[in-house]
Amino acid sequence: MKSQQYIKVSHLMNGIKEPVLLIDPSELTVLKANDTAVELLGGGKRKAITGKPLQMHYGNGQQLQDMILPSPGDSFIITTTLTGSKILIDFKANRININRKPFLLAIGKLIEKKQTLKLQLQHLEKEKALHEMKANFMSMTSHEFRTPLTAIASAVDLLEARLQMDGMMNSFYQHNVSKVSTEVFNLNSMLDEILTLSKIMSNNYEVKKAPVDVMQVLNYLKFQYFSERKDERILNLKISGEPRKISVDKNQLSKILTNLISNAFKYSVKKNPSIQLSYHKHKLVIKVFDYGIGIPAKDIPHLFNSFYRGSNVDHIEGTGLGLAIVKTFTEMNNGTIDVTSEENKGTTFTLSFRYEP
Amino acid sequence: MNRTILLIEDKTSLSETLKTLLEMHQFKVILAGNGEDGIKLARQRQPDLVISDVYMPVINGYELLESFKQDSDLSNIPVIMLTAKTEIEEINLAFKKGAAGYVTKPFLFKNLHATIKKVLLV
Repeated sequence: MKSQQYIKVSHLMNGIKEPVLLIDPSELTVLKANDTAVELLGGGKRKAITGKPLQMHYGNGQQLQDMILPSPGDSFIITTTLTGSKILIDFKANRININRKPFLLAIGKLIEKKQTLKLQLQHLEKEKALHEMKANFMSMTSHEFRTPLTAIASAVDLLEARLQMDGMMNSFYQHNVSKVSTEVFNLNSMLDEILTLSKIMSNNYEVKKAPVDVMQVLNYLKFQYFSERKDERILNLKISGEPRKISVDKNQLSKILTNLISNAFKYSVKKNPSIQLSYHKHKLVIKVFDYGIGIPAKDIPHLFNSFYRGSNVDHIEGTGLGLAIVKTFTEMNNGTIDVTSEENKGTTFTLSFRYEP
Repeated sequence: MNRTILLIEDKTSLSETLKTLLEMHQFKVILAGNGEDGIKLARQRQPDLVISDVYMPVINGYELLESFKQDSDLSNIPVIMLTAKTEIEEINLAFKKGAAGYVTKPFLFKNLHATIKKVLLV
């Protein structure tokens, strides 16, 4: 005679709209199926499924022989009914005890027709391929753009050298030669930022964390991008605490620092910008200071949005992408970024990265 | 004495301008349009320094660095890579393969000149 508890479970199963199976966990045999499960898997014939081993394909009799359901929450998928029609039911198995005997109660969710799922998978694969193609195209295009930009920059350098050598350089030539050169590098920065943003948007950025010596990255950037400036401004550097490596993606950290330092040079026109590295007990705090026009308070909440530019920077070149990239990369590396600013006094960006064990 | 620089670059619009700029700074310049010709010319002329693009036909810049490392006639010639690839991984790879310097395109000539002086210790 069936126990009260078993009867209660049977009632409960029939009260559920989704397909439900009660399974013997040792034999993986279907002991009981609710009406929905009978309808969906057995074509309405209860005896076709109950008392029989659990099968993945009820049409051609492939059993779930390899299937082990060691813990509650495991799932399995049944793909074909007895009548041979294709379905996909995702069952989640939960361990229950009836009269102290263990059973598996599997509640199913009819997901999609197999064909639909296949189409969706195909669609996703196509979309992924398209994203990859787009990112590759952007990378290739930016590389190709840099070639003529390099030729222009070098031709401008040559023109400047020649004018000086021939004693023909005057303020008019100097002004315009500098203008072409500056714009070439601005165009190159824009290209970099568009490429970076395109990669972020297509989820094509993998964070490759490794122990990084921030000083080494800074020294490289200083030499590569921020030394021997025409205006002779330099980047002042201050360090406090015992230097330690932080676990970040070196490429992304370098991009974060390049953007912040470039901005500092852009706005700190009269005074050298500076950077301060403070190695605290649990974290490294990097502060980048400029002593420029500052950011109006109303702009600060929007500062890290793509294409947003401060209301007082109309006369200064920029895409409005740099800080959005800085914030995204900082957060991708588990860091935080903060900004404080006072109009006509300057701005400080504060990055913070915890050391990882 | 004028130092000799072998410039390996497939874009003539750039290599010719750079040649003139380098000559204005008292360097003797030899041009090669790809890595294979660059290696041949390096063997023949034994330059003091090589400046090479990375992505170019026939033999790329990394393969060129490998060839230099394996060839006793070339292994002492410093190579500066000149490339549009700005990723740190690319830079690290170049140094790992034996590059003496790395300058990203576009560049200011004075930055390239500073790297040349640093590498040649002049």
